[in-house]
Amino acid sequence: MEVDKLRERIEREIDSIEGAADLERVRASILGRKGLFSSLFEKIKELPLEERKREGRELNRLKEYAEARLNELRARFEKRGEASRLDITLPGKRPLLGTTHPITAVLDEILEIFSSMGFTVVEGPDIESEYYNFEALNIPAFHPARDMQDTFYLEGGLLLRTHTSPMEVRVMEAQDPPVRIVSPGAVYRHDQDISHTPMFHQVEGLMVEEGVSFSDLKGVLTIFVEEMFGKKTPLRFRPSYFPFTEPSAELDIGCAICKGSGCRVCKGTGWIEILGCGMSHPQVLRNVHYDPERVSGFAFGLGVERIAMIRFGIDDIRHFYNNDLRFLSQF
Amino acid sequence: MKVPFSWLKEFVSIPQDPYELAQRLTMRGLEVESVEKREPAFSNVYVGEIVHMERPPGLDRLVVCHVDTANEVLPILCGARNIKVGDKVPVAKVGARLSGGEVIGRKKIRGVESLGMLCSERELGLSDDHSGIFLLPPHLQKGVSLGEVEGIRDLIFDVNVPANRGDCLSILGIAREVASLVGGRVELPEIELSEDEEPIDTCVDLDVLSSEACPRYVLRMLKGTSCVPSPFFIRNRLYMCGMRPINAIVDVTNYVMLELGQPLHAFDYERIRKGRIVVKVNSAPLPFRTLDGEERVLEEGDLLICDGDGPVAIAGVMGGENSEITGNTRHVLLESAFFNPLYIRRTSRRLNIRSEASLRFERGIDIGLVDYASKRAIGLMKETAGGTILRGKREVMYHEGEKKIFVSLSKLEKMMGATVGEETFAALLGSIGFGIERREEGAFSISVPSFRLDVSEFMDIVEEVARLYGYERIPPKIPVGMLRVAPFDSSLKKRRRIKEFFVSAGFFEVMNFAFFSKRDLQNHSIKESDGRYLAVSILNPVSRELELMRTFLLPGLLKNVSYNLNRGVRNLRIFEIGKVFTRGTDGSPEERYHIAFLLTGKEREYFWREEIRDYDFFDLKGVAEAFSEKFLIDISFVRGREPFLLEGTTTDLFLGGQKIGSMGEVKGETLERYGIEQKVFACEMDLQRVLSEMAFYGTFQEIPRFPPVVRDFSFYVDEDVPVELVREKIRSISPLIKSVGIFDVYKKEKRSVSFRVVFQSLEGTLTEERISELQASIIQELVKIEGVNLRT
Repeated sequence: MEVDKLRERIEREIDSIEGAADLERVRASILGRKGLFSSLFEKIKELPLEERKREGRELNRLKEYAEARLNELRARFEKRGEASRLDITLPGKRPLLGTTHPITAVLDEILEIFSSMGFTVVEGPDIESEYYNFEALNIPAFHPARDMQDTFYLEGGLLLRTHTSPMEVRVMEAQDPPVRIVSPGAVYRHDQDISHTPMFHQVEGLMVEEGVSFSDLKGVLTIFVEEMFGKKTPLRFRPSYFPFTEPSAELDIGCAICKGSGCRVCKGTGWIEILGCGMSHPQVLRNVHYDPERVSGFAFGLGVERIAMIRFGIDDIRHFYNNDLRFLSQF
Repeated sequence: MKVPFSWLKEFVSIPQDPYELAQRLTMRGLEVESVEKREPAFSNVYVGEIVHMERPPGLDRLVVCHVDTANEVLPILCGARNIKVGDKVPVAKVGARLSGGEVIGRKKIRGVESLGMLCSERELGLSDDHSGIFLLPPHLQKGVSLGEVEGIRDLIFDVNVPANRGDCLSILGIAREVASLVGGRVELPEIELSEDEEPIDTCVDLDVLSSEACPRYVLRMLKGTSCVPSPFFIRNRLYMCGMRPINAIVDVTNYVMLELGQPLHAFDYERIRKGRIVVKVNSAPLPFRTLDGEERVLEEGDLLICDGDGPVAIAGVMGGENSEITGNTRHVLLESAFFNPLYIRRTSRRLNIRSEASLRFERGIDIGLVDYASKRAIGLMKETAGGTILRGKREVMYHEGEKKIFVSLSKLEKMMGATVGEETFAALLGSIGFGIERREEGAFSISVPSFRLDVSEFMDIVEEVARLYGYERIPPKIPVGMLRVAPFDSSLKKRRRIKEFFVSAGFFEVMNFAFFSKRDLQNHSIKESDGRYLAVSILNPVSRELELMRTFLLPGLLKNVSYNLNRGVRNLRIFEIGKVFTRGTDGSPEERYHIAFLLTGKEREYFWREEIRDYDFFDLKGVAEAFSEKFLIDISFVRGREPFLLEGTTTDLFLGGQKIGSMGEVKGETLERYGIEQKVFACEMDLQRVLSEMAFYGTFQEIPRFPPVVRDFSFYVDEDVPVELVREKIRSISPLIKSVGIFDVYKKEKRSVSFRVVFQSLEGTLTEERISELQASIIQELVKIEGVNLRT
């Protein structure tokens, strides 16, 4: 029996131990019931008595030595806390994660896109005058277009803005062209059902300088759609009417839900309207003392909830204002 | 505007597939919202002509009609009284199915065979009329399947007509747009009236006192008529367009309005006093009963139609009860007029009367078509209700010249960003009735047709050309221009950072309507003297719950808690940043941003390793402290009062000597009013000052090179001595004291508080002696405070 070789082998195995798991594996392979020593003791049974005694002694000494080394290692690992085996399948303790409201999230994206195209972000008041909300925008008293926007009135001739468009006027009054702004904010309409809430959010956009054309309007808004909904999104500009733009258009994108084949969300048309836009009406420019012979511009107004609904596949606008945690935690 | 396809086809021939046409109309700015299919509810019913009638013996109520259905003559037993030889009638052949599901079989009564059935409108599911057999118009060919007759099988376009296109609130108007699309032209047929000898002049006088309010007014008259129901095909069209048939006279006025866009009004001539019509602007308030039976007050400035004694109608809005058509009307005086849209809008809004007629007057009708519509209607009335048309008309017209707009094609193309070319330009405008006169190369004088009240300047022409040319053909272009820095509004950016802070602290952002109610103020026990009581009120709220502009955010958040509790979500950390609306010193509304956040329940429902305790005040305060630290503002916390917070917990937040908000545990009585049965810890702050003072980064602080020394102290601190005061005292003892923490508070008989003090010098390692000195002076100074004793 080559005791020295055996010792060397044991030493080598023990030296290779790096952690608690290793230790248990090596212990089993050396001292276990089917381990190294068991088989060696089994072997010497067949030797003559004398030889068996001698070999047995040697083996026992070696075994004790191995045990001592392994115990020592175990003690060291225990001290370092490495010996305890965790049930790593138990759930961990998670940090608390909050979320921004989906409207905030979508608004961020919208503003970032226009910001990167050189549009400045400005904000304005929710409480407005008839002048800024209507008259300056070419919607005089009794104008049929006022029917399109059921207004909340406050005392003192004030009202809650029905759109973010008053900011077009406020910005143009405050500065000369060139103008490139977007203006986000809450707007209010006297309306409450499955697709309307009395308060919702819009982003207004305005660009006025020399030589701005309908073609520029299409360019900027096409980029917006591509950035917001993806490069391959089908889109169309459909003629429409707003008193403060002319020519006016509504921008439709291909329904992402049915891919154009027609569904409930797009009312079977395959198209979903996402914003209204148009060339600034010359009367609006004159109202702020801009010269429509010299400068032209375009404006647009988009509904943030609507964009968020399309973006996230939400089918009821009221979800945004119920603030159900099971809803909020999804964003 | 509902447009039956069959009616449209009377004005313009349409080779296109209707669905494709709908699509193209949409892309021209007349959005077709839906195309509704109208299909017969019966089958196997044909047009037949009665060629012979006989009364078989022994069947006293029934006659045998021999009906020719082109390829056979069928004997059919019938009990109706309204039929005669030569009438065209619907024949339900053997095997036909009626609208109620009944299947027609062979019948034999007393040996007389009947091979089918003649039907009433009701039996065919066409109307409620069951008074007799449905008499078909004589022009229908016998043998034709009734189900295929236009109007019975039809398509109805629902067109969303934009507010500026009043001219498209008629079949004619839509037909003009369709004609331009399909390359056709709408021609109105000449109308030849067969008039009586008697002139209208002997019966009625007309005076229009305001040309501004009423530039054109026409009267025609039908004598000796009677109020019969109108024939099926008129009623059917009214139905398809969403109007209710009444009688032939009224139905014809509506029919012509739908067809030509000209609202008409019929007066009962015998109720017009002194044979006189006067159109005038009202000068003093007057009571007036409209034909819906309502007592109304006419105000100064309303445009009135009067007879010799007083008002008989509110022009363009509603007729009076005193002159309306009744079942006894014999003579009809028919009004067709152009009223100034402003008058109609003002009056119809004030009286809240919106009708199909007022809608059209408001949007503006075609002044050139006033008389044509009058002729069309009076002729149709005579045809359907009988009577004689008096000769001529009464008319007042103040004619305005044609509108002309000068257009430079190159300017127009520049505005569009597309090259259209002279030929296309002229062809496009010509196709919708504009007159084009070429002055020189690229310069045109455009005359606007009288039905296009919306077109008055250059940009209107740009719109027309762009729309007809097709928006899709204008190439998109990226605007060039100087690169500019596009700064974000700094307040928006800061609010965004605050939101990020709360999200990272495990809060969910909520968004509530900016409204609340008086009840919310009561729920929070807000007194009249409180600034928050003076909320801006909405004159026309959607509901009582949303009657005021919110003056603070918390009520919204408590409603969110309640909503979630009701759905089994009990642990909440939520915040909102939003505008509140208060009043300035002069009472005018002011807008400012607030933030509110709250905690309720616990951090998480459970964790297997340890017990999770409920939130308490210090969880809330910790958030406020971290907020203050994060944005480098020095918020201090002082005991305060708030009507909806428990007094013992109410804490005011101060920034730069100014109160900016408060926090604490919400009172049970307030919570109960929102149905909340667990503790809520809430904070609300005005953000104005925070936004102006907050910063994202400070300046760099030297990192100490020498080790700090830590010492713990325990004192008995009486409960009425605020711990913060003791802490402050320790800090003030030496600049070497880097921080003072509180690591233990417990109470047996007295309250014991343990402080951990960190000493740190930037100059060198602190010696044991120096530390001992500082330790001694801390103890010495603290025990000087009344109610503080060293714990030994």
